Amino acid sequence: MTENTDEQVPDGEIADEAAGGPALPPGGHGVIALLEENCTACMLCARECPDWCIYIESHQQTVEVTGGRPRQHNVLDRFAIDFSLCMYCGICIEVCPFDALFWSPEFSYAERDLQGLTHERDRLREWMWTVPAPPARDPDGAGPAGS
Amino acid sequence: MTPDGVGARMVALVGAGAAFSVTFGEVTVDVPTDRWVEALTAARDDPQVAARFFDWLSAVDETDRPPAGFSVLAHLYSLTGRHHLLLRTLVPTDRPRLPSVVGVFAGAGWHERETAEMFGVVFDGHPDPTPLLLPDGFEGHPLRKDFVLAARVAKPWPGAPEPGQGHPAAPRRTRTRPPGVPDPARWGAGHQESAAGQVGGDGD
Repeated sequence: MTENTDEQVPDGEIADEAAGGPALPPGGHGVIALLEENCTACMLCARECPDWCIYIESHQQTVEVTGGRPRQHNVLDRFAIDFSLCMYCGICIEVCPFDALFWSPEFSYAERDLQGLTHERDRLREWMWTVPAPPARDPDGAGPAGS
Repeated sequence: MTPDGVGARMVALVGAGAAFSVTFGEVTVDVPTDRWVEALTAARDDPQVAARFFDWLSAVDETDRPPAGFSVLAHLYSLTGRHHLLLRTLVPTDRPRLPSVVGVFAGAGWHERETAEMFGVVFDGHPDPTPLLLPDGFEGHPLRKDFVLAARVAKPWPGAPEPGQGHPAAPRRTRTRPPGVPDPARWGAGHQESAAGQVGGDGD
């Protein structure tokens, strides 16, 4: 690949301002990251996705609880987002009731092969390290419920 | 001119059947279908409205709510008065015809060709009523709400499996279906299998 000299789409660590790359414009975002620890495989994102680009496979596991009934919970087997179909609408992030999906500022993940744009759970989890901290709480806002 | 002023002036120019509303600071003037060309001509030629810049023309599928039909819209702008004007008319679903306004704004030609192929609205008197963007032989009008994408037949819905179930969805309860895609018994791959050999039908 020839060296890209375009200011708007440079090579390398683009979203990282410290590395000399330009910052995203205000309100801009990059890839979608998955915090799979929070995912319950509830399928809401896959069902809301207008592009049909989220693939989830899961199975149920029974956990014995000492002094109680055995509990069942879903175990995630596969979580993939096909970024060749994704239109970055963010509906999946909005709809997730368990805060498992986040916007990451990274947008440098071009591929020579279309298949490579399907990011499996490990790659989506890696993006999680690039997700910025949430904005600080509004000191004038209401406190936590029940406080 | 204020949006209210433009609206009131347009209603006075078009006459009976016209009405205007102001939403988000911009005026929309509803005109009867048979006064469509006159309304655009008046908007262009009236010295007060003077909306001589033709911005765009398109349509909205409003067949799912009364009064059903396709809203055809034209957005004009007045460079002298610096005000916007959105003209709208409703053509019925079963007879979506409208006189062409190419004679008023020549630039509307491509917009009308696109609206015709995307919504199936026929523009009478258009000098070149051929498709603008769609490939030859394309059937159907893609921006109509009842048009279903072929990609929705070719690919299984990833939202079909139940949480915690494997890939084949358990057939208990009513199966969840993707929004906006009709019952597979009526349309799509299942429909084609049941009607195999009859019609090679996509996009009905």
